[in-house]
Amino acid sequence: MKKSLMKANFSQPQRQSLVGVVVMFTDTLQKTVRAFWPVLLVWVFKFSSLDKSRVALIVGTVVVLISIIAYLKYRNFTFYIDEENDEFVLKDGILNKSRTTIPLEKIQQVNINQNLIQKFIGVHALEVDSAGSSKKEVTIKAITHELALLLKERLLSSENKNFEADAEKVTEKEEEKDFVEISFLSLVKTGITSNYARSFGLLFAFVMTIYQNVDEYIGTMGYNENPIDEYIHPRMLLRFITFIIVAIIFLTLLVNLSRTILKYFGYKIAKKKDSLLLSYGLLNTRSTIIKPERVQIAGVRRNFFQKKMNIQDVKVQQASNMGNNSAKEQQKMAIEIPGCNNSERDAILAFLLGEIPERGQELRPSIRKLIIQIVKALIIPVAIFLLLAITVFPEIYDAIIFLPVYILFVGVMVFFAYYNSKLFVSDDFIIKQSGAWDIDNDFLAPHKIQAVSVKQYFWQKKPDIGKVTLYTAGGSLSFGVANYTRIKELVNYWLYQVETTDKNWM
Amino acid sequence: MEEFKNNPINTFELPKFEEVTLTKLHPKYLKVMLFNVALLYFILGVAASVAIYFIEELHPYWYAFSSVYITFLVITVFITRIKFKNRGFAFRTHDVIYRSGAIAINTTIIPYNRVQHVALHEGLISRALGLAAIEIFTAGGDSSDVKIPGLEKEHAEKIKLLLRGKLLNEEEPNESEL
Repeated sequence: MKKSLMKANFSQPQRQSLVGVVVMFTDTLQKTVRAFWPVLLVWVFKFSSLDKSRVALIVGTVVVLISIIAYLKYRNFTFYIDEENDEFVLKDGILNKSRTTIPLEKIQQVNINQNLIQKFIGVHALEVDSAGSSKKEVTIKAITHELALLLKERLLSSENKNFEADAEKVTEKEEEKDFVEISFLSLVKTGITSNYARSFGLLFAFVMTIYQNVDEYIGTMGYNENPIDEYIHPRMLLRFITFIIVAIIFLTLLVNLSRTILKYFGYKIAKKKDSLLLSYGLLNTRSTIIKPERVQIAGVRRNFFQKKMNIQDVKVQQASNMGNNSAKEQQKMAIEIPGCNNSERDAILAFLLGEIPERGQELRPSIRKLIIQIVKALIIPVAIFLLLAITVFPEIYDAIIFLPVYILFVGVMVFFAYYNSKLFVSDDFIIKQSGAWDIDNDFLAPHKIQAVSVKQYFWQKKPDIGKVTLYTAGGSLSFGVANYTRIKELVNYWLYQVETTDKNWM
Repeated sequence: MEEFKNNPINTFELPKFEEVTLTKLHPKYLKVMLFNVALLYFILGVAASVAIYFIEELHPYWYAFSSVYITFLVITVFITRIKFKNRGFAFRTHDVIYRSGAIAINTTIIPYNRVQHVALHEGLISRALGLAAIEIFTAGGDSSDVKIPGLEKEHAEKIKLLLRGKLLNEEEPNESEL
């Protein structure tokens, strides 16, 4: 019965939830503010000299206009499923009307998300990802949760035209099992142990700008001598520096912690027959699906602290709709599951990859890789710095006290990056380990390989070293600079595996 | 995994991609490559001459500019010849191999059962010389696609047909599965 109701619902064009007008309003408002922000900025600064009543009038008019636009947007936005042609149809636009149709079999993924405003008024957004259409995705911005779930079910069940099969799927849906739930404690642990480099960089930039501003301010105040210099005793300076360092560490932790909790609060993974349903987020709730056959590269990332605390991030790179993504974008699109403990990690990996990958034969990079890195990260930058300090900018010469710190820090990082860089090859998996502090382990099943490429510079011929890159539909994986003979053997083996496999890559 | 460890011989008995004799590109294609270099340097040369002619401060340096220009031109021509020499391809029973590069030699191998589609390109000059290029796409993204230039038109058509045939053979079981 539920089924027939659902069918009747989607074959007729329908609008979004009426409260969706609010979402449209805030959306349009946001766009308007973004378009006119320079004007607004000027107003804010000249606020006292402006005619208040005129400002009020203009603001009022704009708000009314936006409301009308929001309402028209709501009125003109309809969606339905064209049962005859098996297409999902969206119509929208006020003056320029457009009609988007997506063949049901091309729909790759349907996500249900919720941002703050949507949460406030109790609606959800439904995002449809499709393969091969020029428009990457379409979004219904306001839809009730119930309807969203039904529509999602309908959109993703296109393969089974059969009614019985469909009905079965709906009942199965109710049997959805909780699979993994990331606890708040795990998120706290993740928050205080990850992304040190990025947060530290941000804070460092922030502190430097403030320091510079203070310096300039003191300069323009007309003191002949910097008053800070006068009052600073060595002991105070030491105390001050300690304070700054402690403050930076504290702030870094705080920023990381709040970011992690905001983004991943209440991370739940539910298992359906053939896929995982993920949902997470405190203010903006996101939900997404992982299907094992679409997974190309799965990875685990953890650092020393996380190892001690028994947590790690699991990363999943799925086949993307757009073939021409750069490796960086692929990384960005990867789905992250933070703070898994070992058993959770094993459960997720076993489900996605069919089994828990085991490490096979080990391949290590050549010692030349370490030497190259030392030259690149240590010798060249230090030489450039010294050269500049001695010849062109003597004023940066004072910074030389930071040189030992830099050399020590970078040296340790370079060494560990080399030490951790390993490739493990077994019959069923290729595992690449990399990273200096955060250690990544990427798992790739050979039948997911799309193409293999090997590269050798002419000076690498004699020492017999080179690099290999494995391309998948969800990003690529490179390993170098290692024994070239061994790499070629492996390439031949992988080609053999890909060419004889009866498994599909998706 | 165990099996692999116990019989490492396995990998030695496999056909080796590095021992396949690659087919060189058609000699006429070197002309196309050199023409492209000439075109680029012609434009650069004209731009530089105009700049030197009109900006008086640059007048005394004209010989420096021209010597840099000539040095770069010679190096580029030299590298282009190496590039041409290094390029080669082979179609094996199960995959296609393409090698290219000058300073670094790149060899890319695409198994036929991972090919998404094949395209045939004809550039302006290539067409005049009766040449064409075959581009082979996979789902692995731009950087894994292979473009084999400098094929005789007829040869390219044949390769395209061959790949089409391979694709159809591969796809039939897939489609019945879906």
